[in-house]
Amino acid sequence: MNLVRAELLKIRTTNTWWVFALISLPLWALTLLVNWLQSDALTSGDLGEMPPEQAAQLAAAAHPDALSANLFTTGQFFGLLIVMLLGIIVVTSEFFHQTVTTTFLTAPHRSAVMIAKLAAAALLAVLFWVVTTGLNLVAGAAVLESIGVGNQLGNVAAWEAIGLNGLAYLLWGILGVGLGVLIRSQIGATVTGILLYLGGTIGAAIAISVLAARFGDWINDLQLLVPSLASSLMVAGTEIPGNPPRWAGAAVLIGYAVVTGVAGTLILRRRDIS
Amino acid sequence: MSDGQRSPTSDGQIVVSGLTKQYKNVRAVNNLSFTIQPGRVTGFLGPNGAGKTTTLRMLLNLVTPTSGTATISGHRYADLSEPLRHVGAVLEASSAHKGRTGVNHLRVICAAAGLPRQRADEALALVGLTPAAKRKFKGYSLGMKQRLGIAAAMLGDPRVLILDEPANGLDPEGIRWMRGFLKGLAHEGRTVLVSSHLLSEMQLLADDVVIIAAGQLVRQGPVDQVIGSMTQGVRVRVRTPQAEALTTALKGQSATVDADGQGALLVSGVDAATVGRTALAAGVELHELTTERPDLEGVFLELTAGKAGIR
Ligand SMILES: Nc1ncnc2c1ncn2[C@@H]1O[C@H](COP(=O)(O)OP(=O)(O)O)[C@@H](O)[C@H]1O
Ligand SMILES: [Mg+2]
Repeated sequence: MNLVRAELLKIRTTNTWWVFALISLPLWALTLLVNWLQSDALTSGDLGEMPPEQAAQLAAAAHPDALSANLFTTGQFFGLLIVMLLGIIVVTSEFFHQTVTTTFLTAPHRSAVMIAKLAAAALLAVLFWVVTTGLNLVAGAAVLESIGVGNQLGNVAAWEAIGLNGLAYLLWGILGVGLGVLIRSQIGATVTGILLYLGGTIGAAIAISVLAARFGDWINDLQLLVPSLASSLMVAGTEIPGNPPRWAGAAVLIGYAVVTGVAGTLILRRRDIS
Repeated sequence: MSDGQRSPTSDGQIVVSGLTKQYKNVRAVNNLSFTIQPGRVTGFLGPNGAGKTTTLRMLLNLVTPTSGTATISGHRYADLSEPLRHVGAVLEASSAHKGRTGVNHLRVICAAAGLPRQRADEALALVGLTPAAKRKFKGYSLGMKQRLGIAAAMLGDPRVLILDEPANGLDPEGIRWMRGFLKGLAHEGRTVLVSSHLLSEMQLLADDVVIIAAGQLVRQGPVDQVIGSMTQGVRVRVRTPQAEALTTALKGQSATVDADGQGALLVSGVDAATVGRTALAAGVELHELTTERPDLEGVFLELTAGKAGIR
């Protein structure tokens, strides 16, 4: 418990937290604007001619469940990225600023230090989610009212999406810590993390759709194995026709978080600090 | 660990036994054994690359030994129940977050170690850093960083102090302060182990020395004893225009005479008075007659000759 408090104090006593907050706020506002315009377009009807399969997907997206799920998880795309970077920094800044020697002198039981770091990153991630969700409930309800579907604050599907969103924040925070241990360099881990998240999302999505067109639809299910795609599936808001179920995405992401957390702990226990 | 298990004689004692660290290409520390006593300042000496830092890091559970053990008061560092209350360490690479203030750096350590928060302010006052408490670490001079490191080591009021090259980068005033500070701690009965390659400083500071080279023990003991044990002992430097005549006369007194390469003779085996008397009897004119006591530096260079150098 002392160690978790110390980890949180480490974050509070540097400018990391407000720099991250400062970056996140405009990104959140921007996403809110995009979601608003998109929700407005989806509900204002006339979207032109399209094949029936696409029409079904659009109809699902225009349903109040999907609209509210989307709006109440606004800021998620960048939020998950930020939370992962925070997790990375919790570990790599110790190597960057050479404070790891002091940390391990203070607490020679390294597993305890690693667990404290995982807990601190998880707490920060959840805090991030709580604040964003608070903003989303206010702004999202207002948008939903304005497009005439009601505030949806009693919608079970919406709360399900909010909950899974929280799980996603938690897991990406943990993934960040694991990544930070695996790649000690601050810049190296940050770049890898961003590539894994952004490049992984876009690149893997393209690769999988190309492969699916060539080898058949079953390839689509493999997207589950890409962490960023598993995550976007899990937080899709509602079940999308033709995709694997959301819980599968959650299971895969939990798997990755556990693996990186455990691997990170084992590596940290053995490593010479010189 | 209960206090009952701790033998009272080993309290504050550091025991290194058969310690070895093999890196991929170098055996940084090779079967090293020594004992450090409380109440004294012990200098841990060796040329660059001798393995001092590696030894201290193994002692502090930061580097895993290939074989051998290192204990403090009879326990491995990792087995001490409250390590900071027992051992304080200032290591070369121990640093602070550039953007964190000095006092916050110490408060983080207090939080992690379960020490009361005000220890941070007390430790800063102890090293004279109170005025810079709220400044960020990146603005600290080398001397201030070194003092902050010592403040961190003193947070738990430890029995045992371990410092790796603490004099590096300090100005003469800072070095003098450190010398007084460390001697004071030893005087209070604490164990003080200081690694250094600055020998003149060590001669002023240390009571005991442990000298290593190429990862192996070369000599251990009280400073005076180690200096006195040297083969060359006291030498007399003489300058004369009649070097050959004097050399012949001195050899009759069973003295050893060498040229120092700069026009003077180095005489060992006899004292300055004997040299003067012999010269007078032989009618040899003298221009200089000085007794040269070996210092730690000379001893060190002789002991580590051929083993120094970059590995
Ligand atoms: N992490 C490491 N990996 C490989 N070699 C190392 C490592 N740390 C130290 N060494 C080598 O071990 C030897 C002893 O180094 P060190 O303990 O730092 O000596 P000192 O502190 O006495 O100058 C040197 O040859 C150094 O290059
Ligand atoms: Mg060294």
